[in-house]
Amino acid sequence: MDIKIPYNEDLRPDTGLYNAKLGIWLFLASEVMLFGGLFSSYILLRAGASVWPPIGLDGQSVAHLLEETIGLATFNTVALITSSVTMVMSWVSLKMKDILKFKMYMWITISCAIIFLVVKYFEYSHKIHEGFIPAHDTYMALYFTMTGLHVLHIIGGLFVLVYFVMPNGIKMWDDEPIRFTNRIEVFGLYWHFVDLVWIFLFPVLYLLN
Amino acid sequence: MISDNISKQVIKYWKIFALLLFCTVLTVLAVYVDFDVEGSIAGGIFVGLTIAVFKGYLVAYNFMHLNDEKPMIYWIILVTLVFFLILLFIPVMWESTLVGKY
Repeated sequence: MDIKIPYNEDLRPDTGLYNAKLGIWLFLASEVMLFGGLFSSYILLRAGASVWPPIGLDGQSVAHLLEETIGLATFNTVALITSSVTMVMSWVSLKMKDILKFKMYMWITISCAIIFLVVKYFEYSHKIHEGFIPAHDTYMALYFTMTGLHVLHIIGGLFVLVYFVMPNGIKMWDDEPIRFTNRIEVFGLYWHFVDLVWIFLFPVLYLLN
Repeated sequence: MISDNISKQVIKYWKIFALLLFCTVLTVLAVYVDFDVEGSIAGGIFVGLTIAVFKGYLVAYNFMHLNDEKPMIYWIILVTLVFFLILLFIPVMWESTLVGKY
């Protein structure tokens, strides 16, 4: 027996939304609280510090390294902003029923996500190589926790992005194009949120020290 | 008519993209400008965070379609923002006597 899940495409009369959209916004609300806890820790530790970034037990501060990595972090910001606009363009392409353009924009988004991760890898290695590990001081602990959690979101998103352009993921377009378009919209909301978090992490961790 | 609307939307998205890039450049340049008052870096932090809030608004309003959403979504966001602000500032007020002690 074929059971159809309700409100995948149609809007619920009470919420005015299809279910996945309501679901993703509730999920994003929980994500705001997750990152909010870390931003709160940042404010608390920063307000309590006499010097920022603090000096570790080895008598060194990461401040000089941060100046060196502003370029990389700016580059990563551009990569994420680009991925955000290509994500929304992939959704627009589906609205225009242009599956080729959809694939093209999705691959650009995937490339931007990979570029972001590669740059992050070099950034992390450089800091760890210089001895600035999470245990070095409270700034480094916050830096690795906040950017690490953000990187996990990028990695998770990357898997979903790849799934959508693989035959298994994209086959829904042939049978249920509206549902597939909704899926891309919902994933796009997640991806823009990840971009939004980075928009705040960038000045907070790299620039305002 | 629908394709006309979509074309307008596409142009708007690319304009927002350009504006976001411009704001990113501004954020970085702001680091090299002295906005601070009497030994405090509060001025620099204010400018940096103001630009970040504006960029966040551009992403949320345009890319996340908050310019045209259902009331249910606005309610979810409003409640989240209230709790988010409580989460941000309660610990600082609670521990205000410890400022400068870590």
